[in-house]
Order: sequence, then C-alpha cells, then structure tokens
Amino acid sequence: MPYKIAVILDKSRIERIRGTPVENEVKDLYGGYLKVIELTVPDEIAQRILKEFPRARIDARGFIEETPVVFKRELFEVIVQLKSTGPEVFSELLKPNRLSRIKEAAAKEDEYLPPPNVAYCG
Amino acid sequence: MVCMSLKIQTPPPHGGKLVDLVIRDTDKAVNMAAGAVGFDIRPTRSAIDGSPIRNVYREVMSIAYGFFSPLEGFMTRNEVESILKERRLLSGWLFPFPIIFDVTEDELRKLNVKEGDRLLLRLKGQPFAILDIEEVWRFDPRDIADRTFGTPEKNPEVVRRRFDEKHPGWLIYRSMGGVALAGKVHVINEPIFKDPYNRFWYPPAKSREEIQRRGWRTVIAHQTRNVPHTGHEHLMKNAAFMGDIEPCHGILVNAIIGAKRLGDFVDEAILEGHEAVSKYGYISPKRHMVTMTLWDMRYGNPLESLLHGIVRQNMGCTHHMFGRDHAAVGDYYDPYSTQILWERGIPSFGLPAPPYDLDKGLKIRPVNIKEFWYCPKCGEIAYSDTCGHADVAQRFSGSFIRGLIAEGIEPPPIIFRPEVYRVIVKWWRVYNYPFVNRRYLELKERELEVDLKPMEVSSRR
Repeated sequence: MPYKIAVILDKSRIERIRGTPVENEVKDLYGGYLKVIELTVPDEIAQRILKEFPRARIDARGFIEETPVVFKRELFEVIVQLKSTGPEVFSELLKPNRLSRIKEAAAKEDEYLPPPNVAYCG
Repeated sequence: MVCMSLKIQTPPPHGGKLVDLVIRDTDKAVNMAAGAVGFDIRPTRSAIDGSPIRNVYREVMSIAYGFFSPLEGFMTRNEVESILKERRLLSGWLFPFPIIFDVTEDELRKLNVKEGDRLLLRLKGQPFAILDIEEVWRFDPRDIADRTFGTPEKNPEVVRRRFDEKHPGWLIYRSMGGVALAGKVHVINEPIFKDPYNRFWYPPAKSREEIQRRGWRTVIAHQTRNVPHTGHEHLMKNAAFMGDIEPCHGILVNAIIGAKRLGDFVDEAILEGHEAVSKYGYISPKRHMVTMTLWDMRYGNPLESLLHGIVRQNMGCTHHMFGRDHAAVGDYYDPYSTQILWERGIPSFGLPAPPYDLDKGLKIRPVNIKEFWYCPKCGEIAYSDTCGHADVAQRFSGSFIRGLIAEGIEPPPIIFRPEVYRVIVKWWRVYNYPFVNRRYLELKERELEVDLKPMEVSSRR
C-alpha cells in the first residue's frame, strides 16, 4: 500500500521551487495557511524509512510522520535538485552516503533542537 | 407517582465508596512504618534499551488517593487471573489492567520478606508508603504482557496485530521483575507536588468537592496525553453538548502524567497547554478545569478507556468523550476499539456488554465521537459524520503538527492556538527539546513530579 509524505513550504522554500514543475504540485492546507508538497511513497520505500528511523510512523491519514527534521530538509533538497516529486527522489535520498549523513545529524537531533524565537505570553 | 428525572446526577464512585489510604497523622504514620522492611522505589526500565518506562510510585498514589477505587492495593495472583479472564477484581467490580508491584528474585532475596510482612516504600530517599504483603507470587512477564493486551487470535474483535516491544504498555509488563508482592498500600508521607503539577492535583474527593463548588450537575471528561490542537478543542466543545436537558455544565480535562513514548509532548506542556485553552478564553474558564492522574500509560486503547472511565467516574464526571484511536499507539488495535467496547462490549475480554450494562460496571456515560477535520469547501472545522466533503477533507494529525513544530514553524492558528504554542516553546527552552527524549525520561524519573518531606522512622534497613 503506498503512503504519502508531506514537505511543508515556508516562503524561502516556495522561492526555491518557483518556475519549476514542482511549483504546480503545491497544495493548500487548512484554508491556505500552510503550503505543502505531497509525495507518494511506495510501500517498500515506506517500510525502509520506518526501519531506518525507528521513531517515524504512519499517522491516521496514511502519511509518514515523525521523521527527523534533517530527513525532511534533505528530502526538500533532493526535490529541488531533481525538480521532481517522483519515486527517483527516494532513490537519491536513500543512497548510502546521503543516508548515513542524515542519520548522523538525526542522532544529534534527539538531544537538541533549537527553540524558535517567540515570546511566552505567560 | 414518582417519575425518573431526565436530569443526570453525579455518579457514585466505582465500587460505591472512594478509597482513601492516606495517613495524614504523622505519629500514626511513624508507628505504622516502625519495624517495616525498607525498599527504595526505582523505575521500571525497558528490557530492550534500559530507559525508564514506569515508576510504581504513580500506581501507589493513584490507589491511595482513590483514583483507582475500589482497588486498595497490588493484586494477588488470583486477582490478576480474574482481570485477565474477565476484567474484574475479585470483588466483581470491573477493572482493566493487572496492577502489580514487581521486584526481581535478587531483590526478593535481599528483602527476605514473606506473607504477613510489612514493606516500607521509600521515594527519593524518604519514607513514602507501606505495603502489607498478603502474597508473594511469581509470573512470566511476557505471558502477562500478552494476556493483558490480547492477541489477534484470542481477541479478533479489536486486536489487529500481535503486540511487541515497540508497544510501550506491553513493554512495561514485559520489563517487570517476575516476582509480585501483593497487598494493601497506605501513603504515610504525603508527597508535595512541584510547580506546575501542584495546580492540577485534584484527587477524586477534591475533584468532587470542586465540581460541587462550581455547581456543575453534569461534567464531561476529556482524556489527554497531548498538547491540544484545535481538533481536540472542537472535540471538547462539541462533545460537551451531550448533557441532559442542557449541555454539560463542565469539561474536566484529565491529563495522564507519567513516563511516555519518545516523541510525545512533555507533561508540563500538556498541562499548561490545556490550561491556556481556558486562560485565553477559547473555552470559558467557568466551564473548564484541568486536572491530572499519575499513571504510566499502557496505551491499551479499549482497556485504557475502561480505566479512564473508572478514574473519571471516581472524580465525579457524568460523561466521558471517546474519540478515534483513544489512548492508542500504532495499529495494534482497531482504531475504533474503544467505541466498540462502549457500544457493544468485547466478549473475548470477558466484557459481553458495554461497561454501563454490566453488573458492577460503570455509571459514567460514554460520548463516542468520530473526528473533526478541516473542510476547505465548508471553510471550517467540521464533524466527519456531518460534513459531506470527505473527499477533500483535511484531517488533523498530531504527528503532522509535531513535525511542523520540530521544524521550527509556528502552526497556523486554525489548527493550533498561538498561546498554546507559546507554552510548548516555554518548555522547549527549559529542556532544549520540545518532546519527550531519553534525557527527559531520565530527568523526570530522577526528579519526579513530587518532593517528600524528611520523616524519621525506624525501619529494618
């Protein structure tokens, strides 16, 4: 069963895909408050992602979530590089060198994620 | 002729009477502890990676303060067998989980205790509770784990796949020491809750008093282990319409506080996140109250919902909302298992009818709710059974929101209130991480939610 994975687009990410075929695949979420690209993930790739990143899981919508931040960041980089959201994106993303780099950075993420700069309204 | 009123009243505690096993008189407490054999409570650690996954002190607290009424102590072998056969205590009252005080063979040898002895349980180095040992019995942790949660073969109505070490509740039982010390407990040195937990500590007797003080006739319970997104908020607001002759007077949020799954929100943010919902008026504080129960979640979906029903009935709630994937993790259970239990029962668990239709069952009324989603066509958050645009509906996903937060993106207000997000960031700064990680689990188990006053007792070691 194929699953999905979503990459959230902020302003800078939207700029980086402007003018590419990927731009046409941008979807509005929650009344346009969020922009995302949704990729279809074949079952075997989904299982591989779940195995490589034990905390990742399939949510109630059938999306792969709770992957490391660096995984999503690299996923976006590959989309930009290949100007595509097809299955070749995952072949590139899961190449041994790239994957080990992601896993190394992900291990550090388990200990520290920089908090955003917003004020607490206590 | 007397007619039955349509107005609903506060239900009696489960079992008829609230358990209160807290000794508040210091002299009496010291006398009770004198000569008992000392034992330092330590967390149960995962049999897989050694991380802390449970602390039995939370069960002692929930028993002694009456959350688990009518349970008065840790279970004997016969009582556990009764639970596993038909989810009933030996007194006949429904109860879903084995509650076991476990030690290892090595610890038992060192303790050198037997039936009839008294154990002094120390927490953070101080006397905390006593356990009067009624029985010492042995068990196979894996067998208890399997039988607690069920298997696809034996419980086909709700179990979809075999439980394993990735399931946090199964792992708790699997990681137990194999020797059980059964018997009644008393807290002899009342723990002092730290900030922010102290604001949310409403044991059943106090909760009932508070409900009465507020003049709430009907109160609907909301189970949580999450910082609320607007889907949760809509669930609370809409489920509360189910009252008697008018919507429920109160919404009682009851957060489960204890060891959690890696990646869940930290307990402090869960409590203060819910508090922010009424603090900033998204639900009026006149109608909303945030409380907590100490319990290391077993993520047992329908079984967990039965425990939730017991706890919240004991706290004085008249209704309980149950949604999709209630207290679930992964796809071990059918996503609507809890609703199956509360609609028609689960015979293979010994529950041939819903808990409210069984003798010595529950009096709390379930409000089974499916889900709320964002519908771009309606342009609003809609109820899944009411909205006719399932093909375009955008479902809420806690995992998706956690991913958004981890990427440092503030969730839009339509799915997450900004004041609630700021609570997450507050605790993110404290722990350098927005979710439960190994460091948080270790720190939490060292610090716990409470401190204990020094108490001099003459224990045997």
